[in-house]
Amino acid sequence: MSTIDRREFLKLVGAGSVGTGAGFMLAEAIKHPLEHLIPYSIPPEEFSAGIDTWYNSVCGMCPAGCGISVRTREGRAKKIEGNPSHPVNQGRLCALGQAGLQVLYNPDRLTAPMLQKGERGSDTFLQTTWEEVLSSVAERLVVSRNRTDSIYFLSQGVRGHLAKLFELFMGGLDSDNLWHYDFDHPHSLYAANDRLFGEQQLPYYDIRNSRYLLSFGADYLNSWLSPVHHSLGFGHSRQGGDGPRGRFVQIEPKMSISGAAADEWIPARPGSEGILAMGIGHQLLAKGRYTAVDADDWSAALKDYSAASVAERTGVPAETVVRLADEFSRSQAGLAIGGSSAGNHTNGVDTLVAVNMLNYLVGNIGKAGGVVFNPDPVSGPTQSRQANYRALEDLVENARNKRIDVLIINNTNPVFTLPKSTGFTEALASIPLIVSLSSFMDETTVMADIILPSHTYLESWGDDIPQPGVGFSVAAVSQPVVSPLYNTRATGDIILDLAGRVGLRETMPWSSMEEYLRDGWREIHARSETDGENFDAFWRDVLRSGVWGENTRREGSVVINKRVIDNLGVAEPEFAGSEKEYPFMLHPFMTNAMHDGRGANLPWMQELPEPMTSIVYGSWVEMNPATAKAMGLHDGDMVTVSSAFGSIEAALVVFPAIMPDVVAMPIGQGHSALGRYARNRGTNPLQILAPMTDSASGSLATNATRVSLVATGRRSDTVRTGGMARQLGRDIVQSTGGDATAAEHSSALNSIPIVVEST
Amino acid sequence: MPTEEKPLQFADVNNDIVRSLVVTGRNYYITLGIAMFVALACFFFPWFYQLYYGIGAAGMNHPTVWGTYLASFIFWIGLSHSGTLLSCVLHITNSEWRKAMYRSAEAMTLFSLLVAATMVMVHVGRPWFIHWAAPYPNQMGLWPNFKSPLLFDVMAITTYLTGSLIFIYMGSIPDFAAVRDRTSGWRRHLYVLLSLGWRGTDTEWHRLGWAYTFLAVLIIPLAVSVHSIVSWDFAMSLVPGLHQTIFAPYFVVGAIYSGTAGIVTVMFVLRKYMNFEHLITQLHFDNLGKLLLFLSLLWTYINMLELFTGWYSGTSAEYEQIKYKLTGFYAPLYWEMILFCAVAPLLMFSTKFRTSFVPMLVLSIAINIGMYTERFLIIATTLSRQYLPDAWGVYVPSLVEISILVGSLAVFVTLFLIFVKIFPSVSIYEVKETMPQPRKREANLES
Amino acid sequence: MNFIDRFVAGWAKYRKPGYYEDFDYAWTMTIDLDRCSGCGACVTACQAENNIPIVGEEELRKGREMQWIRIERYWEGEYPNAKLKFIPMLCQHCDAAPCETVCPVSATYHNQDGLNTQIYNRCIGTRSCAVYCPYEVRYFNYYDHHWDAPLEQQLNPDVTVREKGVMEKCTFCVQRIRQAKDHAKDDGRRRLRDGDVQPACVQSCPTEALNFGDRKDSSSKVYRSMHDPRAYHVLEELNTLPSVVYLKKVETHAD
Ligand SMILES: Nc1nc2c(c(=O)[nH]1)N[C@H]1C(S)=C(S)[C@@H](COP(=O)(O)OP(=O)(O)OC[C@H]3O[C@@H](n4cnc5c(=O)[nH]c(N)nc54)[C@H](O)[C@@H]3O)O[C@H]1N2
Ligand SMILES: Nc1nc2c(c(=O)[nH]1)N[C@H]1C(S)=C(S)[C@@H](COP(=O)(O)OP(=O)(O)OC[C@H]3O[C@@H](n4cnc5c(=O)[nH]c(N)nc54)[C@H](O)[C@@H]3O)O[C@H]1N2
Ligand code: SF4
Ligand code: SF4
Ligand code: SF4
Ligand code: SF4
Ligand code: SF4
Repeated sequence: MSTIDRREFLKLVGAGSVGTGAGFMLAEAIKHPLEHLIPYSIPPEEFSAGIDTWYNSVCGMCPAGCGISVRTREGRAKKIEGNPSHPVNQGRLCALGQAGLQVLYNPDRLTAPMLQKGERGSDTFLQTTWEEVLSSVAERLVVSRNRTDSIYFLSQGVRGHLAKLFELFMGGLDSDNLWHYDFDHPHSLYAANDRLFGEQQLPYYDIRNSRYLLSFGADYLNSWLSPVHHSLGFGHSRQGGDGPRGRFVQIEPKMSISGAAADEWIPARPGSEGILAMGIGHQLLAKGRYTAVDADDWSAALKDYSAASVAERTGVPAETVVRLADEFSRSQAGLAIGGSSAGNHTNGVDTLVAVNMLNYLVGNIGKAGGVVFNPDPVSGPTQSRQANYRALEDLVENARNKRIDVLIINNTNPVFTLPKSTGFTEALASIPLIVSLSSFMDETTVMADIILPSHTYLESWGDDIPQPGVGFSVAAVSQPVVSPLYNTRATGDIILDLAGRVGLRETMPWSSMEEYLRDGWREIHARSETDGENFDAFWRDVLRSGVWGENTRREGSVVINKRVIDNLGVAEPEFAGSEKEYPFMLHPFMTNAMHDGRGANLPWMQELPEPMTSIVYGSWVEMNPATAKAMGLHDGDMVTVSSAFGSIEAALVVFPAIMPDVVAMPIGQGHSALGRYARNRGTNPLQILAPMTDSASGSLATNATRVSLVATGRRSDTVRTGGMARQLGRDIVQSTGGDATAAEHSSALNSIPIVVEST
Repeated sequence: MPTEEKPLQFADVNNDIVRSLVVTGRNYYITLGIAMFVALACFFFPWFYQLYYGIGAAGMNHPTVWGTYLASFIFWIGLSHSGTLLSCVLHITNSEWRKAMYRSAEAMTLFSLLVAATMVMVHVGRPWFIHWAAPYPNQMGLWPNFKSPLLFDVMAITTYLTGSLIFIYMGSIPDFAAVRDRTSGWRRHLYVLLSLGWRGTDTEWHRLGWAYTFLAVLIIPLAVSVHSIVSWDFAMSLVPGLHQTIFAPYFVVGAIYSGTAGIVTVMFVLRKYMNFEHLITQLHFDNLGKLLLFLSLLWTYINMLELFTGWYSGTSAEYEQIKYKLTGFYAPLYWEMILFCAVAPLLMFSTKFRTSFVPMLVLSIAINIGMYTERFLIIATTLSRQYLPDAWGVYVPSLVEISILVGSLAVFVTLFLIFVKIFPSVSIYEVKETMPQPRKREANLES
Repeated sequence: MNFIDRFVAGWAKYRKPGYYEDFDYAWTMTIDLDRCSGCGACVTACQAENNIPIVGEEELRKGREMQWIRIERYWEGEYPNAKLKFIPMLCQHCDAAPCETVCPVSATYHNQDGLNTQIYNRCIGTRSCAVYCPYEVRYFNYYDHHWDAPLEQQLNPDVTVREKGVMEKCTFCVQRIRQAKDHAKDDGRRRLRDGDVQPACVQSCPTEALNFGDRKDSSSKVYRSMHDPRAYHVLEELNTLPSVVYLKKVETHAD
């Protein structure tokens, strides 16, 4: 071996230091720099370093239409909070609403217009320019408009001026096939209100002032209609007022969040909720709680619903039926609501009519704590364009028969939310051109030929009239809170651009959605008491507060048609599949985080433990402990859930509050697209639903499918954040009797060591 | 190796021991090589990996934020006992048989402490700031928190380490001088420095004896306090199963128990591979066996007490701890521990067992495996089942942790192997004191 | 005063019960279990406000969740009388906080507003505080966390992003308290008014189950709320003197 001389040694030392230094630099360089230098030497106008700017807008995460205030800093959205002036949410916001930031900053957003280059559905898109996509779409529209009704426009539910814009556009294209499609649209509730009260819109359910709430399946604190507003009402009714504490009763086959929050949870056979409501109605009449002139008509209509027969049909004990009727009629302000699972059966409308009837029978229509009818919306189309299941079946039928030339889809995902049995995905093959306006590559957008990437709601102009309203006229404006991140455009602007290209400039003269919106709001300005304030000032005020309201209230009283009374009745629910082959009734339910599946690409929502099970990042099937034991199944076993229309796999969760012959599955996971956080995670129970509908509303009866469960022999790797869900007598959640006086609690009070005088 | 019946001479002792320092066989290098390689591959490499990516490389999680690293820490601290401690006790009580083994025992203490300190570095999230736990003046005006049992720990261990280091060094000075006089070259230079000019005068012997005994007396309470303080890291928390008054004696007994078992293991190795058959005899094993047996009974008693107090408390939290220990996820480990540390040691009631080398070796290793399990369980079972059931969870060590655990043994062995080549691993002069004085020589001197 | 006098005086002060009450504010949260629906809005609000990382499915499987406020759930009874009760659990800002005494470097300590603060820069990651905290509300950064671009644009500039190896937990949104104090100072006010500070979780809670304020101000909502006969502390027997006061759930029985 040669010896190392001084020169060699120095070289080695040098090389060693450089190597070490380089290693260190490399290590430093691959760290993720979280600080970003402020890149502007001349910053944009709204930009001031270190100072928050708040924009009021409207939440676009679900149809409830809460008002939001978005905190921005250095041109970036930092936090979404509730807009305190908005009457729907009064400054509060649900988890999903707050996760809107992750829609805006989602790493999987569509960033530029794209054309399908390979097989349809193969997800081989090429980016291109707006000019190219818009001109080719316009070209096809011009050709297709000659064939009446051959252009289909399927949009997510939109309200206010954007909805009107769609009407103008489709009218100009000579097509009546403009449909809004939301998975959770409460068709049955609309139909029931229409049948009983002759109301086209949803009424306002005044939970806040009610002292006794009978909820038939409606998961009003979590997913039904307007959860934030209901939660405010719930909290206030419980502990907010001076009067007696509100009592809440929940009737449903599987305990929901609202069921957990309730004072009493009553399991009733799936689809029998309406029968129970009729039974309670029967009691009201029988006990003479309803004494108006048409009492005899009611008695006759309800005569078949004696406590005993109702008990037989619902599985709810007869004493309970009697007691509920008693409590409900005796409470000062009793309110009955129905929806979610109870409305999603083949007898959904009957059920909800029966529930609404209870409100009428105890005379709480138009009263505080009761059902309040809403005034007409101040803007937007009058005709409802919501596509029920039947309308979608028509779409499929038309597609198969080659009657559709162009299908435009706006931000809705029927491929994911419709059962496989509908044949929607297959029908798309017969449509020559599919255009998707979307912010994400969802399951439906993958099937498109042309993608027009749209802004998220945080980058767009729009307005909204919340449905259900809050008993008086409200409209809210949504405005961009940050400048667009990518080469995307607002839906309204895309439509206006296309309108120009297909020669509709005359009826749609606006150059941008913002201009159109301002123009539209002149009407609202005109009807407002503005003390002579000019429109610009009015508009500025509206933008600043984010919401506009008018104290117009509707007359409360209603008269119910004798024909309606005579035809009252709740049929037995029907289920697809034989009881023998498919012993369980499937109860799909929505969670606040996933909603109809749109929450699945938001990491905060994936990581938000589902409150009842603490499961994150997955889906599961819930089963009664006794049933599981009888079948030899254990928590965490993988099971195959099969209906006559397909089968899926999920992890079994032994769930203490579900009926023995019901299994429940959350909706929202099981995406095959929608980005890295959503894809290939859990299963989608909607896929195996039977195409059962409620004939009265034409809506999909999502809870009318029977399934069987078979163990796969494997164990699941579902993740739960919670450990043991029993208190073991440790008094962590403490309770007290409702009627206890302060004196009885004095010991508890004394044990609080914090007694402080004011300074 | 059968030896002929020739009485042992003073010169033999000197030569034996110096030979063990100077003459290095191939086996030694192979062993050292393996140990160093394992230390690098199983300890340092995974540790660096963990430093780079974060403690996430280990298996710890939300309820169980402590894991094997801390278990190893207690284990090594435990092993460090009965080294110096035992040596001191035996010195004070003038036990003859101490002399052949105390040097290695003290070395064990030293290296166990070093490895334990390293385990702390491995355990914390940001070891590069570990010095913040030391009180030193700094321009940030920051000071550690003297209310923290962790800080007591740092101080106790530092003190024990310092004491042990001085003790072992002081006891070695005459031997260094003896080696100095028999070696040449760099060794001579080294031992000239190490022996601090020892000439073996009466005054020197007198002073050494006095200082040695003084330190021995000082170290006994120190050793007891170290493990008591380590136990406070746990006992001063509110965690059910940890918040126990028995913990200090429990830890001290456990420490001495595993330490004594460790000595048995080391003595077996020394005897077998360093040709010390004539220095370490059945008598040593017999005596150590008796001590081990006593400790095992004491340890079992304290374990039973722990179960009893948990049951007697009548609270859900404490009761759950016991139930979980005996029947929960970690129960197989618990019963393994009982088997190794409470049941198997009963064999030592038999003198035949105590005086058989290999069975004693196996038992001593089993006891230390059991004692490691004990430390692991103290952490894992309690932290998995605390007050709020919703926050319960289990913890399973990751590969990195297991590797570091194995690697830490290699680090220990490496250090020990280096030590035996520098320190005379058996005290030369004290062994001579126990031997019959050579008569002939005395007679010669008379003339 | 010589050293010994100072020491004795300091010790006496430290030993005085209610020592922390001499501070400027005593921030307190009340949680009305009769209102809370377990919806989790507070959880997301806290994540958004406090730059709490997205840890991913694998980390969650290992039990390394990072949620400064979590919803614990407890079942009672069996079908059909099963009941599920929720309880939001967050740092209780204990006035006698076990986590503080154990920290060897004082990275977690009580500030003059009665907050249990966490100094990320000082933390060396012993995780002892998490062991000592009986409420298990301390979360450790097992890794450097990562936000898939451009998710990091949402990060709150007022809150540090924590690095691997440090402990973190609910701060009572101290950045909001600081900001409110700054605003108050700008307005020439010496003290904050009730309602000036709303932590993110409190702000979002749809049922208004959460309330936050200064318990030294007897006119504050939180003062009234914590003197409700339903008030109690979780794990009261441990005497950690929490600043989070729970209001018992009311259970009515059908008459
Ligand atoms: N009141 C007060 N005064 C202070 C201090 C304090 O704490 N308080 N701190 C002091 C200290 S430590 C410092 S370093 C100084 C800093 O004082 P300055 O150097 O004045 O720092 P800034 O105001 O941060 O930046 C100066 C300008 O540079 C612009 N700029 C940013 N990037 C670029 C670029 O790429 N090119 C060009 N041409 N311009 C760019 C910014 O828009 C800004 O207008 O302030 C000192 N003064
Ligand atoms: N967003 C943003 N960040 C920046 C910059 C920016 O422009 N914008 N500028 C960068 C630049 S150029 C700089 S220099 C850094 C400055 O960053 P820092 O060094 O953090 O500066 P300060 O906040 O001015 O002061 C730090 C602390 O020192 C305390 N202090 C004041 N006097 C004394 C004293 O005598 N002794 C002690 N112990 N403490 C004292 C103050 O109260 C304050 O809490 O910030 C950098 N970071
Ligand atoms: S309920 Fe939630 S998601 Fe729906 S609008 Fe309100 S905040 Fe948004
Ligand atoms: S936001 Fe409010 S209601 Fe929802 S879980 Fe948190 S504390 Fe409970
Ligand atoms: S709750 Fe835990 S972390 Fe918070 S102050 Fe109390 S002991 Fe510390
Ligand atoms: S983890 Fe950090 S804050 Fe907690 S005790 Fe250790 S150093 Fe202190
Ligand atoms: S007070 Fe702030 S930090 Fe604490 S849980 Fe609420 S939002 Fe999170």
